[in-house]
Amino acid sequence: MTAARGRWWTSRWLRLTAAIAVTAGIVGTVGWFWFDSRVPSTYSVMDMGYLDYGGGPATGHVHPGGTSVADLTGSRDDAADVAVTLTARQEEFALGSGEQVTGYTLNHTSPGPTIQVTEGELLEVTLVNESVPDGATLHWHGVDVPNAEDGVAGVTQDAVPVGGQYVYRFRAEDPGSYWYHSHQVSHEQVRRGLFGALVIAPRDAEPEREELAVVHTYDGRRTISGHTGVRRVEAAAGEQVRVRVVNTDNGSLRVSLSGAPYRVAALDARDIHEPTEVTDQAVLLAAGGRADLVLTVPAGGGAARVDIGAGAALVLGPAEAPEPPAAEHDPTVDLLSYGSPAPLGFDPAAPDRRFELRIGRRPGFLDGRPGLWWTMNGKLFPEVPMYVVREGDVAIMTISNSSGDVHPMHLHGHHVVVLSRNGEPATGSPWRTDSLDVDDGESYEVAFQADNPGVWMDHCHNLPHAVEGMITHLMYEGVTTPYLVGGEPDNQPE
Amino acid sequence: MKATYMWLTRLIALTVVLQAAFIAWGTFDIFNAASDGRAFTEDTDYNAGQALHSTFGIMVVPLLALLLLIVSFFARVPRGVIMALVVLGLVVLQIALGLLSFPAPVLGLLHGVNAFILAGVAGFAGRGAGSAPARTPEPEGAAAA
Repeated sequence: MTAARGRWWTSRWLRLTAAIAVTAGIVGTVGWFWFDSRVPSTYSVMDMGYLDYGGGPATGHVHPGGTSVADLTGSRDDAADVAVTLTARQEEFALGSGEQVTGYTLNHTSPGPTIQVTEGELLEVTLVNESVPDGATLHWHGVDVPNAEDGVAGVTQDAVPVGGQYVYRFRAEDPGSYWYHSHQVSHEQVRRGLFGALVIAPRDAEPEREELAVVHTYDGRRTISGHTGVRRVEAAAGEQVRVRVVNTDNGSLRVSLSGAPYRVAALDARDIHEPTEVTDQAVLLAAGGRADLVLTVPAGGGAARVDIGAGAALVLGPAEAPEPPAAEHDPTVDLLSYGSPAPLGFDPAAPDRRFELRIGRRPGFLDGRPGLWWTMNGKLFPEVPMYVVREGDVAIMTISNSSGDVHPMHLHGHHVVVLSRNGEPATGSPWRTDSLDVDDGESYEVAFQADNPGVWMDHCHNLPHAVEGMITHLMYEGVTTPYLVGGEPDNQPE
Repeated sequence: MKATYMWLTRLIALTVVLQAAFIAWGTFDIFNAASDGRAFTEDTDYNAGQALHSTFGIMVVPLLALLLLIVSFFARVPRGVIMALVVLGLVVLQIALGLLSFPAPVLGLLHGVNAFILAGVAGFAGRGAGSAPARTPEPEGAAAA
């Protein structure tokens, strides 16, 4: 009897112990993943993740003693050719077409003033923060500026607090279409209006008719340069117009032209070599990307229409021309084979570094929050690669995506050239880009020259994705940043 | 513990019903916003129905399924652990199908069907707990008492 009773207690005890052990295992594992995922409130991006030398020399350390990002400025002494002051405010404002929006403005408008400079000129922009509570910065999207002028809070400067100001100075070197936007709490500030366009005109070019189409969606209202709906622009029959389309949204933009053939003259401020005429095809523009579309207004009295979906379009033609119906083209111009080849200016055949960026998605904890998060090379932020290069290197990066969503990858301070997609080599004009859509299931091989020292953010320009951890950096040997994410200025670049 | 097990299975089945309700709300809200001229793009925040569906799907339901598994170790429900594992497996499958449906929307059909399988299995597991006879004291223990 006693023996039997003992057995019963033993089996019950065993069972309970096993149950407690398995429970502790489950709770402990989940708890450890939670605990381990937490990101300190203040940190340097240089301490984030792990160094990836891409097969190059693992020398030149990243610790104090090198060049500071703060010293990699544009010209401080020369007189500015163009000087602009932009005052950032949080306020209610009216779109060009009249709707009221609560958000952020620059000089009381959103989009902010368009900055026009000519190639070779020195631009000086003073950012004054009058009332943006989280602080603000200005990043020059697509302009390969010196690192200290890049405007990334916590990496190249501190966020400018209310009452503060910051001066950006750089020479406009590469003509084309660009934009600027805040890189402090950018997923919120850009969406709600803290941005504008920057156009660098070529030095010795014939003047041409231009239209700027800055596309932005405010509270679900898609606008072209601040106007909802169809906007008419008067242009004479037979006139050639360069439409500079700037995608300031977080998603890809399908730009459909009807009524006239067109050419994609430039992408991301780099000319396409010998662009051919296109009809009935759309241009798919990555978030942050720009395309210069050149069209000729039809001679027969009709109009051309640039449709960007969601009811917004630009109609170019004589005032009396009937408005062409909305069009949405399904096929898109494939830049892998568009235009004709030209020298790249460097040789990617024997690169000094080879990097890989594999984008995925999995459940886990991000800074303690459970969810489905993007991964980079299989790991969650902040366990992301820090790519290291030496000035003068040629680097190749393979970006592949199996995450189920498209990611517009944006490397600051550099343009990359696309070598191949899914193993298929590029056969058209050199496809130089700073905002490259990598779709689910795609793999791009891109090359770039390490010719602009600094610490550069490389991130997804679907800005909420950046908040969800899609941020990595490109770092030059011997360059360090004194700025911190978090800290007193509460720098939050994403 | 047996009652907790039963109530957890009922709660899981109930969340499936709520999930269907949330996503229906979210979908109709998109049509309603579109009729007011608002675009649904990558920049659009989740509406309330979508946000609830996402939060419940990623956090609440998996948490309940994990709790059910833990409770099953202690509850002594016949086949209780196995059923809790099946429920957890179906929840993982459901999340995976939800994820895969973003690039391949047609898989959403399976996401919808699996939801009903999950609710059914959870309900079945709960019935097992409810109909099982209350744990009778072991004969030896009874004799000792």
